[in-house]
This record gives sequence, structure tokens and C-alpha cells, in this order.
Amino acid sequence: MILILSSNAEITTDAVIMWLNDLKKAYIRVHEDEFFEIKIINKKFFLESYRNRFFIDDISSVWYRRGGGLKFKRGQYHHEAVNQNMNEAHYWLEDYVIKKLEAKKHINKQSNSRLNKLWVLEEAQKAGLKVPRYFLAENTDDVIPGKMITKSFTENVILKSAYEHQDGMLYTAVVTQQEQGSFFPTFFQDKIEKEYEIRSFYLDGKIWSTAIMSQKDKQTETDHRKYNTAVPNRNVPYDLPLETGQKLNELFLALDINCGSADFIKGKDGQFYFLEINPLGQFLGLSAVCNYALDKEIALYL
Amino acid sequence: MRYFNLYSNILITKGANRILISDLQRNNSELQSLELYDIIEALKSHAIETLMGFYDEDSKPIVGQYLDFLVDKEYGFISTGDRDHSFPPLSLEYKDAGLVSDIFIACRDLARPRQLAPSIGNLAIKHMVIYCEQELAVADFLDLEISFSDSSVESIEIFAPCHAGINENYLQQLSEGARRIYSLVFYKCTTIQPETGDRYKFKVVFTSRHLKINACGKVDLKYFNTHLPKVLEAINHNSCLHKKIGIDINGDIRNCPAMPQRFGNIRDCSLEEALNHKAFKNYWNLTKDHIAVCKDCEFRNICTDCRAYTERTHINEAGLDNSKPLKCGYSPYTNQWEKWSENPLKQKAIRHYGLQELIKNEEA
Ligand code: SF4
Ligand code: SF4
Repeated sequence: MILILSSNAEITTDAVIMWLNDLKKAYIRVHEDEFFEIKIINKKFFLESYRNRFFIDDISSVWYRRGGGLKFKRGQYHHEAVNQNMNEAHYWLEDYVIKKLEAKKHINKQSNSRLNKLWVLEEAQKAGLKVPRYFLAENTDDVIPGKMITKSFTENVILKSAYEHQDGMLYTAVVTQQEQGSFFPTFFQDKIEKEYEIRSFYLDGKIWSTAIMSQKDKQTETDHRKYNTAVPNRNVPYDLPLETGQKLNELFLALDINCGSADFIKGKDGQFYFLEINPLGQFLGLSAVCNYALDKEIALYL
Repeated sequence: MRYFNLYSNILITKGANRILISDLQRNNSELQSLELYDIIEALKSHAIETLMGFYDEDSKPIVGQYLDFLVDKEYGFISTGDRDHSFPPLSLEYKDAGLVSDIFIACRDLARPRQLAPSIGNLAIKHMVIYCEQELAVADFLDLEISFSDSSVESIEIFAPCHAGINENYLQQLSEGARRIYSLVFYKCTTIQPETGDRYKFKVVFTSRHLKINACGKVDLKYFNTHLPKVLEAINHNSCLHKKIGIDINGDIRNCPAMPQRFGNIRDCSLEEALNHKAFKNYWNLTKDHIAVCKDCEFRNICTDCRAYTERTHINEAGLDNSKPLKCGYSPYTNQWEKWSENPLKQKAIRHYGLQELIKNEEA
């Protein structure tokens, strides 16, 4: 039995479920508004919500797609001391359940679904990937106008949207002029003169890449996510160089996540620059364009 | 040396006299000459400079123009030094979950699709077309929506006879309750009302014709559709009958309601049982590459392939009808579109299917 933790009406989840049905694989889909009670039946852990009930032992794999993950019901006790005590007991039971589930075959985990982008960049360099020079600053003193970009280092996984190119990430903008005064720490990075962008989907050691050829159109030159609807960027299947792929694999292993999308730039200098990883983004748009059927790959893996 | 790299989602279909270039990402196709085809082919194995060397001074500018055209349309890009080998071909495999994706139901009223809802859900069918003989009230549509509210069905199109009660209020009420209905066609209208545009959640068409199932299967430029999944399906399967199931007015289960072979009746046979019949999927893997005339046609990957109405001139080794679709007036050899119904060679088949009346009505 496959356990799927996702937000309601999430299109990627729906698509994967079509394949699970096709492959005759049984699954339980947990909704955002579901709260589970932890029970022990015949000495075995049993979870029950208003929609679902199952033994932890019967779960063979877990897909943490989106949403807050498993949520639990807790009782309220009149006595404050009892309440505190029980909360503590609940906490350890819940912790055990989540640990048990995450120890099974899985795609991503709720416990480390939040990626720190700054940490990722450091780990990427350790894995041997080339990262465009970057720094954080509270002023633009060291920023070279026209040669650097700024972007958000916060995660935006809570933002939902239907398709690729709108998945809640902030757009990248070129810094055009220096500013007076100081501001909240901001991320600055060298702008790479690019030949094209590459988005690579990673699942348990396998990589499917798409080249996003945006150089012909000025409008989309800095970030392909500022989507030009009149003539979309040319998107085609792409093979990352073997070595870059191996390094990306190392990075995913180091971060202990086994599924996500990574962005690269192929520079005019022929180098591959790593930009970032998004573990929960939408990928079915590019999957369809490249006929990768990644929804099927996920269903096969689970 | 410079090299031209054709993008993998540009599909070139070679016909008898011309080619069709289909942009499978941007969903459009255009006709081009065989001359361009030869250049594209040559560019696959030669550098641009080498290719230029094959042509005399007079022809070089023409080749240059073709090359500019290819780059300008973003059908490919030029690399220097070598080809860019990091661009693998696009997989042409057709991948789609589920055994059946489309169902066509002919019926007197909407009780039949409601009754079939459990099977439709079980088969995870996504698209439903209903041809109804009786006039329908708003409540009929809404009951139908409710029967499918928790099912795999994503889209519903309904054909129903026109009647006096169909007015703005009727459509407005219907629009409020509609979830899956995306298209309505009212036929046998006495007064033709204007198209409703995007006023409602669905598209509405009014026609004076008495539409019947035998009107299906026409081939025309306006029906051609360049869309990656459809093209992949056409390359690997029959572009009309693959993953389709039909129920005719009598309840007989067929691949499409107009196909000759029946596989049981819904009275005593489930859709699942019918699909298990060994002959049900006979036509599913017959592609245009094996259909007379179509195999030489540049439109074959974006065209549908009707097997219910054919010219009835060819039968393949497996006993399948692989004649050209009857209702196509195009010839890939002359590149002319003519009226199919007036072609003398088609008259015998037209009589066989009893389409004389249909043709007369359509011309009236
Ligand atoms: S086989 Fe012909 S009649 Fe049947 S659905 Fe296809 S086009 Fe229509
Ligand atoms: S000959 Fe007619 S039916 Fe056949 S592929 Fe060409 S346009 Fe379609």
C-alpha cells in the first residue's frame, strides 16, 4: 500500500494516481484537512482519520508531495499538568510514526522538505558543481550594475499554481543601478551570459533534463519563468554531461532528498552553472513537452 | 565548420509531393517543399559549409534562404565546431494511463450514461460524448453532472435536439450547475440562434441539421490538429479508434457506434467484458502508414483515421480494412481538395453505407 501525502486537488498527484490505477497499485491519498489518531491494535500501530484507516506495517512506500504532511489529533485534558504530560507522550508517538514511515521506501520526506537555498549552494559547491559567484549584502556597494542579478532566498513551497513557469518562485531580475542606503540582507549573484537554461528532474539517481532555449527572445533572457506566451521558449529533451549529472546526484544525496528539479545555466563559456533545487515544484509541463511521462516514472518507483 | 541542429520536437512528415513540418511544442504545422526536405536531410549528415559546396553559385543563395527560414522559425539552431550532441531525440512512444480514454454514447435520454457511470469510473474514462435523441430539461443535465461528480470523467460533450424551452434562462441555469459539460450542440433547430461565445461555462452550437452519427468521420483541413499527444497517438495507433468505446442507440457496444462489429449489448454485457473481447482492439494498432493513399500523405500524422466509413477497396493480411477514409477529398498525389461525395470512385461505398441522404441534406 502506497501512502500519498499531498494538498487537495493537486494536479501532479492526480496524474500519478491515474498511473497507479493503470499499474494496479493500491494507494491511500491523505488530504490536507485530515487529522489522524494513533491507535494500537493487536500491538500494531494503526492510524485513523475520518477518511482513511491503515496499519503502519501495511504501508510499503510513501510519497510526500505537498501540504503539511501527516497531521495528528491530540486530546485536550482538563488538568494542565496532565495536558502537558500527554502532549509530550503524543509528541513521541507522532515522532515515532513519522520516523517509521520515512524509513520506508519514499519520495521526499516531510521532515526535510524545506530546503535552505543558501545551504544548497554551499553543498552544491562541495559536490563539485560550479555556482556563479554570489554574496549577501545590505547595500549595493559591491554590486556591479548590469552584471549581477538578485533573487529571493526564501522558499515558496506554500504557493500553489497549476503549471510550470508559474510555480511560485520569485523572478530573477538584473540589478540595473546602485541604490542609496542599506536594506535587509539581499542575495546578489553574477549574471551568467547564457547559451540556454536547463531544468533537470531528479528521481532516485535518475535524471531527465530539458533545455530551455530562451536566447532568441529578449523578453525571456534573464529568467525563463517570465513566460512569453506569444512564442514560448523552445523546450527540448536534453542530456546533462555525465559528470555534471554525477555531481548533481551527489548533491541530492548530501541533502538527503531523492526527488526534485534542479536549474542550470549553460554559459556562453561552455560551463554548466548550478542555480538551485526545488524539491516540490511542478514538473509535468516540461515532462509532457519532452514526452518523459514523469508521472508514470513516479508511479513506477512507488 | 557550422552545423544545423534540428530540434527534436520538429516532426517532418514526407508526402508524395510535399512535406508537412509540425512544431510539436508550439502546436502548428506548415506545408513546405520536397526541396527543403532534401536540404534538412543533407544537413543531418553534413556541415553547412560542406552542403553549400554541393551547390552551384546560383543555387547557394536559395539554400541560404532555406537555412535562414529554419533558424528564424526556431526549427533548429546553428552550432559551431561540431553538432551539439546533448540533444537526444524526442521519444515517440505514446504514454497514456488507462485502457480507455473516450466513450461515445448514443441514447434516447440521459438515463443510459448515468447507468453506465460505475463502469466508466472503473475504466477511468476521461472524455464522454453523448448523442441524445430526446429533448432535455435543465434538470436532466444537472442529474448527469451529479452522477459523474466523483468520477474520472473530465469533459462531457452533449448533442441534443433543439426545443422551444432553450433560452437564455435555461442556459444560465445549466451554466451554474455545469462542471464537466464543456460543449453543447443543439440540432434540428427551427430558428438559428447566434453562438454564445464565452458567456457560459460551455460552448453552445445551434444547427438546423438533423445530425446523425453517420455525419462523423469527415476529413478537412479545419479538423487537423497539431498536438503532441495526438500526434504520438497517431504515429503508434489508429488516431480515432484507439482507447475508444462506443454504445449505439440500441445499446450495442462497439469500438465506435458506427463500426460494423458489435461486442455485446449493455443489457447483458459490461463495458469491461466487451473490451476483453479479442477483436475489440483490432483496429487500435493500425496506423496511417498502412492505409492506402494516406501512407503517402503529408497530413497523415495530424489527420484522423475513420475506419467506419472507408472507400472499401483494400483489406490487409489480418483481414482489416485499410482503405482510405471515405470522407476525405484530398489527394496527396495531386495536392487538390475535392468534394469527396462527388468522386465517382466513391459512389459504390457511399451506397453501401447508405450515405446518399446525408450528402443530399448537407448540400441543401
Ligand atoms: S471511426 Fe469514423 S465514425 Fe467512428 S468515431 Fe471515428 S471518425 Fe467517427
Ligand atoms: S489522404 Fe486524406 S484521410 Fe488520408 S491522411 Fe491524407 S488527408 Fe487524411
